Amino acid sequence: MSMEVIKHDIVIIGAGLAGLRAAIAAAEKSREVSIALISKTYPIRCHSVCAEGGTAAVLREDEGDSFDLHAWDTIKGADFLADQDAVEFFVREIPKEILRLDNWGCPWSRREDGRIAQRAFGGQSFNRTVFAADRTGFHEVHTLYERSLMYPNIVRYDEYFVTNLFIEDNAVKGVSAIQLKTGDLVFFNAKAVILATGGAGRLYGFTTYSHQVTGDGLAIAYRAGVPLKDMEFVQFHPTGLIPSGILMTEACRGEGGYLRNRDGERFMARYAPERMELAPRDVVARAMWTEIIEGRGFEGPYGPYIALDLTHLGEEKIEERLPLIRDAARKFAGIDPVEEPIPVKPVAHYTMGGVHTNMWTETPVRGLYAAGEVAAVSIHGANRLGSNSTAECLVFGRVAGEKAVEYVTGKSFAEITKEEMLAEEKRLFDEILGKSGDENPYEIKKELNETMDKHFWIFKTGEEMKEGVKKIQELKRKYENIEIVDKKKGFNTDLMQAMEIGFMLDLAEVVAVGAYTRTESRGAHYRLDYPKRDDENWLKHTLAYYTPEGPKLDYIPVTITRWQPVERKY
Amino acid sequence: MEREVLFRIRRFDGEKEYWQDFRFTARKGMTVLEGLYFIKESLDGSLAFRASCRMGVCGSCAVKVNGKPRLACETQIFDVGDVLEIEPLDNMPVLKDLVVDMDGFFRKHEAVKPYLIRKDDDYKNPKELLQTPKELHAYYDFSLCIKCGACYSACPASATRSDYLGPAAITAAYRFCMDSRDEGKEERLGLVSGSDGVWRCHFNAECSEVCPKSVEPAKAMQKMRLMSAIHMIKSIFR
Amino acid sequence: MEMRRVSGWFTLKGKSINSIAYSFHRLTGMVLLLYLIAHLSFLTSLRIGEETYTAFISTTVRPETLPLDSLLFLATFYHAFNGLRVVLNEFGLLYEVRKALIYVMTLLALIFWLYSTYMMYVFVTGW
Repeated sequence: MSMEVIKHDIVIIGAGLAGLRAAIAAAEKSREVSIALISKTYPIRCHSVCAEGGTAAVLREDEGDSFDLHAWDTIKGADFLADQDAVEFFVREIPKEILRLDNWGCPWSRREDGRIAQRAFGGQSFNRTVFAADRTGFHEVHTLYERSLMYPNIVRYDEYFVTNLFIEDNAVKGVSAIQLKTGDLVFFNAKAVILATGGAGRLYGFTTYSHQVTGDGLAIAYRAGVPLKDMEFVQFHPTGLIPSGILMTEACRGEGGYLRNRDGERFMARYAPERMELAPRDVVARAMWTEIIEGRGFEGPYGPYIALDLTHLGEEKIEERLPLIRDAARKFAGIDPVEEPIPVKPVAHYTMGGVHTNMWTETPVRGLYAAGEVAAVSIHGANRLGSNSTAECLVFGRVAGEKAVEYVTGKSFAEITKEEMLAEEKRLFDEILGKSGDENPYEIKKELNETMDKHFWIFKTGEEMKEGVKKIQELKRKYENIEIVDKKKGFNTDLMQAMEIGFMLDLAEVVAVGAYTRTESRGAHYRLDYPKRDDENWLKHTLAYYTPEGPKLDYIPVTITRWQPVERKY
Repeated sequence: MEREVLFRIRRFDGEKEYWQDFRFTARKGMTVLEGLYFIKESLDGSLAFRASCRMGVCGSCAVKVNGKPRLACETQIFDVGDVLEIEPLDNMPVLKDLVVDMDGFFRKHEAVKPYLIRKDDDYKNPKELLQTPKELHAYYDFSLCIKCGACYSACPASATRSDYLGPAAITAAYRFCMDSRDEGKEERLGLVSGSDGVWRCHFNAECSEVCPKSVEPAKAMQKMRLMSAIHMIKSIFR
Repeated sequence: MEMRRVSGWFTLKGKSINSIAYSFHRLTGMVLLLYLIAHLSFLTSLRIGEETYTAFISTTVRPETLPLDSLLFLATFYHAFNGLRVVLNEFGLLYEVRKALIYVMTLLALIFWLYSTYMMYVFVTGW
């Protein structure tokens, strides 16, 4: 077994929006540092390409928008669990990112006069969502990827599956990865590591997430002792296409689409009379689920659903503004949204929580940074607003890249020891690849998905969650006894997916225990047994630390600067 | 509606190549990708294929289905029939089962400078560039390429010349040449006018037939040839 | 560079009408190349003497070889018209109607072929 050690000043794990942005920022800051960009897929296969609706940015102060307004929308949307200093910094930094993407070739949709166009979005009180048709994430990723090709000091390692993080004296010193093509174990020795691996979406069965989003970075950091913050807050997007869960962007409603129940009623009038369909996602998702529970959903072959009605928008507007939605609805549901409403229901969509960082993307471990969905900075608090996530990746990706360069300048490498390498090799190829038990790992994944869909869905109760936690722990025990069928080295997706399932089991436990412990309802976390927000006891961030027996929880205060929590109405 | 289907998969385990049959019950609406996942999760865990977004934007899952390169996630099983022959893409080395080595494909894309080139590029102080919807539409459709490799697999010129840049790379070059914000056209034309560039195309146009995003690489290629011809004539008199 | 998969020129499974036209073009091109070699060899026989050349010619201008001549003309016309189509398309012209153009050009090739075959028939049989 060859054991290659590759040295780079900065190693970035994950080549989606945040990872690519971090790489470019680091390369711009210094042409001298060497940057490794590692990802388990080719960069443009990342999940960021699935972002559809847009990126929020204050571009038109002359037309009535302001940074304060964007900050307030974000904080109120977050149900006051966001750190307000981070939010203020964030809203001021996005406009430049939009313009940079423009200068780098992003095909933003335009007004007639050639200026960048903006559209309405849920919870945003101004039309500030910049977009490129309904393929915003796709174009952003491709633009950043293409731009990244210009920098000779960015070295890409495509299709390398990261397996572990090496930390000594609370400072990071590298990572290990399997080169999928050869199956060889490779060690990356680094002065700084940036995590940009995305959320934990595939915990759920009915989800908008790509198959590859398995929370690897979250789990690796967590196991290495880095705390995860606010993991109990999982966002449910109101409109997932039935039956696949493919995202029907919020821009459908931003462009004027309606949600209707079986009686044809625009029921949002009863839940959010002012914002209607454009209330924040948690509010709309709960409204839809209530309609379904109370029997006002449509009946379909895959269970009850709600209708997303775009028929009144007309073919021309749909073709111009929502071409991907039309294409997807036709291909995956056999429905043309120009002719008939799209069958949708709420769907697991986003992980508000993540690796604990401050507003400079620094984790408690020196030299370890996290940006994008994997991090909880935290600007999203208990509920993220639509079009703030791609914005987060751009802003905090940049911050992470720059901070990492500052950190590595003048630092020397701390070697990964021979013992550490041998231990990792043994763990991967003897212990995991050697597993020949009688449990099918994919069955475990399926059961995990069912458990999360059932016990940790939009409306939760303590009793159900308690049962859910037990089931997850049971699955973890089962996982000890799995069988990996493929024993060959090259491109062993069986091994990779089995490891991903192991990651997901750990993360599911963190989500579950965090949710069970938080006895209040806030943002996306809604409990029928504690339906009220409880600022007195719970206006605080959850931190989960790894222990072999399960997560140990701790709490830290929320940073409140200018906006005191008030009742949240839309 | 359900019925039994047969997936005949061309497999490769790193040493030998063989065909393997899998029979299972498919339901209406099930995609080829879902079929592959079903096989991997329930019948044979060693089956290797790439997949991610399952909604036709990431470009991972292109395979040949009954000879034609397609995205597995966008292809309904029942639309193809009861027997599906599934093979890895052509013109790229097979790593394992349905996974081909795309490193070379991506290197070719990188070789045409597929990014906006501007003299006034200012990282610290970006400014809003104007582009009318009309100028946007001049290149927009060509920016939809997901680099799945379907065109490259179907191209007979790529089959015989491994140094040929291929449809996807040249389409990317065209997309930037047509962008009203770009100033790198001449530079890029120099890159695609060589012996590995646009003149290798024989207008089989199969690339446009198989493109899952209707990007029309064949069209971009021909427009690029015209530009390239003018560029070459001009450079003689320079 | 290496010549890899010439078989790719003639693989038609899963391919469209474009590839069929393309394969025929390659095939007729090869036929014409072979003919050209034969033709040049014939002409070279003039150097040996006029009788040799005439003897050669008289063996080919006969009703029995007419089908071969006809096939040669088919290849020639197909290659010529299809080549014209490719030239048009390759300069970015008529891209949108590229499939219709295949049918039109093939039809033209067939008309020219039938007419030329008829003429040859008249010539050879003296009819």
